[in-house]
Amino acid sequence: MNFELTEEQRLIGQSARDFGKEYLEPIAVELDAKGEFPKKVVQALAKHDFLGLLLPEDVGGAAAGFVSYVEVIEDLSRYSAAVASIVNNHTIAAYTIQKWGTADQKKKYLPGMAKGELLGGFAIYEHGPTPGVGPDTLVAKKQDVGYVLNGKKAFVRNAGEAGVYVVFATTDPALGAKALTAFLVKSDAIGVKVGEKLETMGLKGCPVADITFENVVLPETALLGAVNGGAAISATALAVASVAEAAQTVGIGQAAVEHAAAYAKQRVQFGKPVATLQAIQTLLAEVATDCHLARLGLRNAALLIEEGKPFEVEAAMIKSFLARLGSKMLIDTCQVEGGFGYSETMPLPRLFRDIAGTNLLDAPGDFPEKLIAASIA
Amino acid sequence: MSILSPEQKAIQQTAKDFVAKNIIPIAAKYDKSGEFPTVLLEASKASNIFAMAVPKEYGGLNYDALTQSLVLEEWGYGCAGMGTTLAASILSMDSVLIAGTDEQKRRYFKPMLNAQIGSFGLTEPGAGSDAAAGTATAVKKGNEYILNGTKCWITNGGFATVYVIFANTDPAAGVKGISAFIVDRGVPGFTIGTTDHKLGIRASNTVELLLKDVHVPVTNLLGKEGEGMKIAMMTLDMARPAIAALSVGLAQRALDTCVAHVHTRFPGKPFPGQTLQFKLAEMQIMVEAARDCLHQAMRLRDEGVPYSKESAICKTFCSDVAMQVSATAVSLMGSAGYTSDLGKYMRDSKIMQIFEGTNQIQRLVISRAVLAHPHASAPSTAQKAGK
Repeated sequence: MNFELTEEQRLIGQSARDFGKEYLEPIAVELDAKGEFPKKVVQALAKHDFLGLLLPEDVGGAAAGFVSYVEVIEDLSRYSAAVASIVNNHTIAAYTIQKWGTADQKKKYLPGMAKGELLGGFAIYEHGPTPGVGPDTLVAKKQDVGYVLNGKKAFVRNAGEAGVYVVFATTDPALGAKALTAFLVKSDAIGVKVGEKLETMGLKGCPVADITFENVVLPETALLGAVNGGAAISATALAVASVAEAAQTVGIGQAAVEHAAAYAKQRVQFGKPVATLQAIQTLLAEVATDCHLARLGLRNAALLIEEGKPFEVEAAMIKSFLARLGSKMLIDTCQVEGGFGYSETMPLPRLFRDIAGTNLLDAPGDFPEKLIAASIA
Repeated sequence: MSILSPEQKAIQQTAKDFVAKNIIPIAAKYDKSGEFPTVLLEASKASNIFAMAVPKEYGGLNYDALTQSLVLEEWGYGCAGMGTTLAASILSMDSVLIAGTDEQKRRYFKPMLNAQIGSFGLTEPGAGSDAAAGTATAVKKGNEYILNGTKCWITNGGFATVYVIFANTDPAAGVKGISAFIVDRGVPGFTIGTTDHKLGIRASNTVELLLKDVHVPVTNLLGKEGEGMKIAMMTLDMARPAIAALSVGLAQRALDTCVAHVHTRFPGKPFPGQTLQFKLAEMQIMVEAARDCLHQAMRLRDEGVPYSKESAICKTFCSDVAMQVSATAVSLMGSAGYTSDLGKYMRDSKIMQIFEGTNQIQRLVISRAVLAHPHASAPSTAQKAGK
């Protein structure tokens, strides 16, 4: 396997870095402080083709491939992981429609999504143990024609800003998760109610909220993929999303370790820069190592996705790896910057809060280790 | 659970009740606003808890070290920011306990009897881990010292009544010229600089202290000229376990929050799988080991046995545990954790690894002890018995 980026992939990464420097660096601190959705940045992202990266050219996408995509996510995350979250949640919704949608569904949604006129959201999680189970699970009741949705989805990113949501509902509460089915729901459908924006530790500016569905009437054409085929769709889509999330973690970690290394070179204690102390060198070296290995792992998974090969185990491995070591990247780089670095006027606190949001285990009954262990032959 | 006396258990319960009533309900509000909760000082008056480390002869509660750590754990459980306020006040008192005259103690401890707080001013912009590099000066003129310099990251600085400030009386002598002084709030030239907005412990007040020709009487010198560094190091040895206690409280809170979440998310038994169960077990193992490690250090101190190494070990271990448990809890609870108070515990935990001597400095101390006495693994109490 070749881990070198192609010239095209490298250039796309560079353009994301240029974009980050021009559009994200100036607003990242304010975005974090105020937490308001960055409309102008999203428009700029669209203008620079960052919202249709995985979509084919015939719908206006960049057909960039998944390796380029994770490169972009890492590079955007260096500047604002919140914006990278917006992009990733949008992109996963678009990816799901592209992969499982009918020709009509693709035609209806994807051109707008590629242009950034229509933002996507992915509504899978619930407050119960697992989607499809629990007292407020989202139920899709079959009508003579179409479906009626009632219930709640939890922690939906891009909530309130997205124009279309990929929504997972169970068609049979008795079957629970086994009857999970995907639907495309427009945000202006009657009965779709986005709850109050939730206070998050970080990634501020990427809105998170619960969405309640009250007698939301959907036509047959809103069905995405097969009836009761939602579990397979969500498993694949979430695995794909987790690889991009890993790229967020790596982007944040890389930015942090670079900042901490520069800090250590100029912070003098005991008559010399602290960068000359082995204890500090060890902290920096371990974070840089974790970052590097995570990047190789996620590129590997990204390449498998791009080539249409099985990637789920590799994706689970990178998720497991970063669930253990992702936040540690900032725990250790913050340690290098000591008391100075604990002040919110310094950049690492924001990164500390952001990185914790990129390695969440949102399916508590279903750890990535299960898949990995089962794969060991 | 460590074995506590009935009296210690009663004090622990009182602290739990106080925290449940006066701290937990307001913690989120002050974390968000970053304001100093003066209301908490008001509420503390009746219990006299800010005088828990003050000896009986000065009107204090005279708690032993273990009992103090029980109270601090509860405050850390309720809000590590507010717990830091209490710990930092005691930190400043410890210097006076170590080096103060009877008159100085009487004067310094008096405000604590009325829920007023003290502040310890050692750190400077260029002197963090390298505390000896401080450049604040104190020049003796007649019956006074004139202090000049800037202190930074000073906990309680904006709201303290009394301060212990370190300044050099003989800059040519370097670290051997550092001296410790009691400085009262409001003396001319002594002003509060900028307030830090921090990643965590936001309810605690962290400021810059500016000293411009501050006159203090010679009777405010703690110990002798040049003893400042020794006093500071002894103070930190004594005070460090307070950070361990706050950390144990933080870790316990993160674990409890996580367990409550699991119960809500998975009503009834069985819980879904060993991965989650074992992660909870791991957290419990760490929290209990941390608490035991802290209590052991406190028992040594209460028995009058040297505990410098154990002080460093418990500060390091307990703060690392708080960091690890709170970070694991956030990840484990997923978005529910990321949108809950768990984020606060994780933010609060980070400073525990940094202040009152970074965990790197602690490891230096511990490694020196280990290299000097490679076979001293027997408990220090046994050493005492053998003497």
